[in-house]
Amino acid sequence: MKEREQWGSRMGLILAMAGNAIGLGNFLRFPVQAADNGGGAFMIPYFISLIILGIPLMWVEWGIGRYGGSLGHGTAPGMFDALWKSRLAKYVGILGIFLPLVIVIYYTYICSWTLAFSLFSIFGSYPSPDSISTASSASEYLKPYQAYLYDFIGASGGGTWLSPEPIAYVFFLITLLAGLWILGKGVSGGIEVLNKIAIPALFAMGLILFIKVLTLSSPTDPSIGVTAGLSFLWEPDFSGLLDAKVWLAAAGQIFFTLSLGLGAIMTYASYVKKDEDIALDALSTASLNEFAEVVFGSTIALTSAVIFFGMPGATEIASGGAFKLGFISMPAIFTHMSYGQFFGFLWFMLLFFAGLTSVVALSQPVVAFFEDEFGWERKRSVIVLGVIFFVSAHLPIFVSGALDEMDFWAGTFGLVILALLEIIIFFWIFGADRAWEEITRGAHIRIPRIFFYIMKYVTPAFLILILGAWAYQQLPSVLAKGDTGVWVTRGFLAVLLIAHIVAVRIAWKRRRA
Amino acid sequence: MTAGGWIFLALSWGVVSGFVVFCFYRIFTKIGFK
Repeated sequence: MKEREQWGSRMGLILAMAGNAIGLGNFLRFPVQAADNGGGAFMIPYFISLIILGIPLMWVEWGIGRYGGSLGHGTAPGMFDALWKSRLAKYVGILGIFLPLVIVIYYTYICSWTLAFSLFSIFGSYPSPDSISTASSASEYLKPYQAYLYDFIGASGGGTWLSPEPIAYVFFLITLLAGLWILGKGVSGGIEVLNKIAIPALFAMGLILFIKVLTLSSPTDPSIGVTAGLSFLWEPDFSGLLDAKVWLAAAGQIFFTLSLGLGAIMTYASYVKKDEDIALDALSTASLNEFAEVVFGSTIALTSAVIFFGMPGATEIASGGAFKLGFISMPAIFTHMSYGQFFGFLWFMLLFFAGLTSVVALSQPVVAFFEDEFGWERKRSVIVLGVIFFVSAHLPIFVSGALDEMDFWAGTFGLVILALLEIIIFFWIFGADRAWEEITRGAHIRIPRIFFYIMKYVTPAFLILILGAWAYQQLPSVLAKGDTGVWVTRGFLAVLLIAHIVAVRIAWKRRRA
Repeated sequence: MTAGGWIFLALSWGVVSGFVVFCFYRIFTKIGFK
């Protein structure tokens, strides 16, 4: 068996896994979800989901990953094939490469916006309309900022095709090449080094912005201070606890924030030595992610939106979604903040680091698949990934609706399916006792035995529930969409999936030969 | 903000901060980073 790479240090591993988990969603998606779903009361289903869904699945993915790595497999096709003696297993595992690839194709483009906006911030390129106090509403005031974003990504005209500004394409290429360059340096020399710099820097920037937001005052109404901003998110609305939608939103947020069901954790864990701890390291990763999300993510964007636009304005912004909060309202806020150019730069650089570390993590499964299953050198694997990546990324860049469609199938639906398959294969086919032994071997912490039963029964049942509810709630409206861009995207996804099946078939045929 | 809001804020921030301290305390004191 070919010698596989390994992490250089334990800190490097934890920071890399944290970099995988901490993404744009921690700072943009979480506050919007919490504000829309009961405020402080949202944290009850959120923490319950963390305990019965998030942490168990983290352990399962780390366990499968380390086990697969010890047998020379860094991706789900090989790992599932080792766990489940069935000809189907390797094909089921295709999701562990397909999903992160689809997500990284559009995620890289969004990540490149953050790099561009960090420079727009420092150079003060945003529009500068009249004082906020003269605007009739937040949406009215934010129109020039919305136009600024839409012009940048070429979405102003409507229609099937997008026509982004050339500079948007340049920033995409820079981000893509940066990711590929890091991947080319390898697990220890590239990914680990990146995360050792990016994650501490991200926390430092988060802390500076956190302190800045806690000292903000409203430019229009002195009565609106930081307390009002915090109350917007934290004031509990207990009626939401009786609504299934709130529980689903909390479970979904835990999924997204910990990057579960994507295959990326398993690939990173495959570079852990066979008898090294995974139980405490997985928890440590989750703890860093939760701190970034619940403390920084809850405070920076939404609290400043309340302070600048008031409660009604912040409600409008939150209901407009994560992009409106991050790329439209935040530039407006920084325009009117003292030293706003500097803090705007920090905000978008924080998002860029959060995004880039996730881009690298989501790309590594494809590289690992080529290296482990085809026996290719790293350089060749990265170049082939780069070509696939570059060609495919033109879809979300130039086709309207492609990003949402890819996000639904891969970033929403697909990850729950993969997570369900992981836990069924590991705990029900490979065997619960063997799976438990695999997770707890070399552990530097004693995992309470109750988690054995949670992983065996509760987590799969919860996943089936989420899958059923999402299918019921979202599938009809998604399937009803039928414009050109959507069908082009579906065709592309189908071709990409078939290419994955062919690649796995070839790899296994070669192995037998 | 009402007392309820402050309680949820303090508990949530406290839980996640405690989570980080617990994990890294275990690592630093028992094993260390190698």
